[in-house]
Amino acid sequence: MTPERRRERFGNPWIRYRKDVVPLSSLCEGEIATMAFTRGGYGLVRRLAEMGLTPGTEIRILRRGPFRGPLEIEVRGVSLALGYGVASKVFVKPQKLVKDNG
Amino acid sequence: MAERKILRIALAGNANVGKSALFNQLTGLNQVVGNWPGKTVERAEGTLFFKGYTIRVIDLPGIYSLSTFSMEEVVSRDYIAVEKPDVIVNVVDASALERNLYFTVQLLELEAPIVIDLNQVDFAAKKGIKIDAEKLSKVLGVPVIPTVAITGKGVNELLSKVVETAEGKTKTKPVKIIYGKEIEERIKKLEEKVLEHFSQLCQVYPSRWIAIKLLERDSDVIGKIKNYADGAEIVILAEKLAREIEEIHGEPSPVIIASERYAFASSVAREVSCFEAPPRITFEQKLDAVTTHKVFGYPILAAVFASIFALIFFGGNIFSTILDENLGILLTHIEFWLSTLLAQEIVELICRGLLAGIVAGITIALPYIVPFYIILALLEDSGYLPRAAFLMDNIMHKIGLHGKAFIPIILGYGCNVPACIGCRIMETERERFLAGFVVVLIPCAATTVIILGLVGKYVGIHVALALYLFDLMLIFALGRIAFKALPGEAVGLIMEMPAYKMPSFKNVLLKTWSRTKDFVYKAFPIIIAGSVVIEGFMVFGILNYVVKVMSPIINGWLGLPAITGIPLIFGILRKELTLILLAELLPLQSLTAVQMIVYSLVTMIYIPCIATIAACVREFGWRRAMAITVIDISLAFLLGGIAFHILSLFM
Repeated sequence: MTPERRRERFGNPWIRYRKDVVPLSSLCEGEIATMAFTRGGYGLVRRLAEMGLTPGTEIRILRRGPFRGPLEIEVRGVSLALGYGVASKVFVKPQKLVKDNG
Repeated sequence: MAERKILRIALAGNANVGKSALFNQLTGLNQVVGNWPGKTVERAEGTLFFKGYTIRVIDLPGIYSLSTFSMEEVVSRDYIAVEKPDVIVNVVDASALERNLYFTVQLLELEAPIVIDLNQVDFAAKKGIKIDAEKLSKVLGVPVIPTVAITGKGVNELLSKVVETAEGKTKTKPVKIIYGKEIEERIKKLEEKVLEHFSQLCQVYPSRWIAIKLLERDSDVIGKIKNYADGAEIVILAEKLAREIEEIHGEPSPVIIASERYAFASSVAREVSCFEAPPRITFEQKLDAVTTHKVFGYPILAAVFASIFALIFFGGNIFSTILDENLGILLTHIEFWLSTLLAQEIVELICRGLLAGIVAGITIALPYIVPFYIILALLEDSGYLPRAAFLMDNIMHKIGLHGKAFIPIILGYGCNVPACIGCRIMETERERFLAGFVVVLIPCAATTVIILGLVGKYVGIHVALALYLFDLMLIFALGRIAFKALPGEAVGLIMEMPAYKMPSFKNVLLKTWSRTKDFVYKAFPIIIAGSVVIEGFMVFGILNYVVKVMSPIINGWLGLPAITGIPLIFGILRKELTLILLAELLPLQSLTAVQMIVYSLVTMIYIPCIATIAACVREFGWRRAMAITVIDISLAFLLGGIAFHILSLFM
C-alpha cells in the first residue's frame, strides 16, 4: 500500500482541514517526517516532548508492528517504540508529501 | 588510623546508559537493593573506599526527565534537591548524546554539583560517533570523563574527579541555559516573586528552577507553593504568564520549554561530536530486525519464553524437590529430637509452623525466584525485553495494559511470585497494580497440577481445558473492569528500544544476588508468620471450629463436603496442599464430577498462596495486597457457588 492510499484509508478525518499534516501512525516504514504537534492529554503531550518529539524534529519510521501494533521510530539518534494509539495522536509533516505539493 | 571522611554521591541518568554497570563496578558486593520508602521503585545503595574516603553511592532510577511523570522521576528529583548529595555523577550515553544532554540540562537547572560520565564511548565509536570530552567539558563548564563502565575503563579517573570536585579543587562554572527572550522575561518576573515570598523553599530548590517549573505547570511544585500564604496568588500569576507564552508560540508551555532545552542539547551535541563514515550493518542490527519481524518475531518470542518457562518451571522443580526431600528429613529429625524435650503442642508449633514456614520459603519460593532473577537480569541487560513488549503491545491493549505487561503475565503460568515482582517493569503505579491484579489470577504450575490431577484425571481433559479457557475469559473481563474502575490516565506505549548488548556475567550475578537477598528479608517473615498462625489454629483445635463456621459456605453454597475446608485453608501455604491433603482426607473418587470442578475452580481463583501475598505486599504495599486477596477469595466463592448451582442442573 502506498503511503497515500494508507492515509486515505486510515487517516484521521481531521486532516481534511490541514492537508500537510498526517498522524504518525499512517506513515510507512522508511518514511521521514517532521514533527508538527501532539493531540492528546497534557501528560502525553509533555511526555513525548521530553522524549525528544518537539515541534520541528525529524522522525524516521524504522518499523511498524503487525496488526495496528506499535511503531518504532528514530528521533534524535535514539530508537523509540510508540503504541499505535500514541502514534495516531502525533501529527507530522511527511517530507515526501511536502515536496509533492510543491 | 585517620578517620575516614564520608562522601555521598548519586548516579543519575537515562535508562540503558550503563548506570547499573557503573554502580556494580564501583560497589561490587557492597550493595543493598531495596525499595524507596513507600514506593515500589528499586533503590540500590552501596559503599566503596577511595583515597581515604568512604563513598556512599546511590543508584537513582533511570529516567529521561526530572518532571513528575513517574514515581522514578519524583524520587530522583527529591533526592537530588532535598538530600543534596556531595556530587552527582551524570551517566551519559555517548552514542545518544543529544537525548542524554536533555537530562543534563535539567540537572544543571537544579544547580546540582555534577560530574559527567561520558559512558559507552566504545559503543559510540562502533556507531561511528566520536565525542570531544574536553570540548564538552568546556561548553558545559563541568568535568567530563569518558568511560567504558562495563569493562571498568576510566572508572578510576572518574572517581578521582568526583573526589576533587567534592573537595572543591576542580573549578566548575556550569553553563546557564538561556531561554528565548519572551520566556526569560517571564522567568525573571516569577523568580523575583518566588525569592520574595518563599525564601524558605529557595533554600531547597533554586529560585530560577522553581520559576521555570511553575511556568511548566509542574504539579508537584505548584502543590508545594500552594502550602504557603501567598502561594495561590503566585500560582495564578504563573498560570497567566504560561498562557502568554502559549499564545506567542501556539504550543503548550511544557512543550515550548522542552523544545528550548532540546535546542540547547542539540547544539551542544553537534558542537562536540564528529560523525565518521556510516557504519556497516552489524550483527546486533540483524538480530534486531529478525526478532521484531512481523512474522518471524512471534515464533522467536514463543521459543524464548517457552525456554524461560521450562527453565524456571523444570529447573526450579528439580531444586525444589531435592530441597524439599532433604529438608523434610531434617525436619522430622528435629521434630523427633525436640519432642523428647518439649511439650507436644510447642513442638508442633515450632516444627510444623515456624520451621515448616522457613522450609516452604526455601523450597517453594527460592528455587523459582533465583532462576527468575537471573533470567530477568539477562532480559534486562540484553535488550530483548523491549522487543517482546513491542510485539505484544497490540494484544495487551485489549486488557488495558501495554506490551510490557506481557512479561509478568507469561511468568505467572510458572509461578505467581516472580510474576508479581515482574510487574515493576510497568511505568506507573496504576499499571503496576493493574498488572499485579491480573497476574495473581493466572493458574500457576501448582494450580495446573491440581486441575490436571483432579478434573483432568477423573472428569476429563476437555473439562480441564474448559476451566483454563474460563480463567482466561475471567482475566480478560476482570482486567477490563479494573482498567475502567481504577482512576488515572491509561498510558500508551512510549519506550526506548536500546540496541542489543551482550549482558555482562558479573552484572547479572550481582543483580541476582542483591535482589534475592532483598526478597528473603521482605517475604520470609510473612511466609513464616502465616505458617505459624495456621499451625496454631490446628494445634489449639481452632481449625475444627473454623471448619464448622465455614461449613454453610463450603457445604451449603459450594456443595462440597465440609471437611474440604481444611485443605482449602492449608492451600494458602502452598496450593499443592489442596490436592495432597484432600487425597489424605477422603478418597478422591468419592467426589462427584461437579464437586471436583467446583473445588478446582475455587482453588484456581481463591487467595494466592502466602508466598504470592508476600510478594504482593512487597510490590504493592499491605493495603493493595489485602485488596487483591479479599477480592480473589470472594470471587472464588461467588463463582464456585454459581458454578455448583448451574452445573448441578446439567450433570
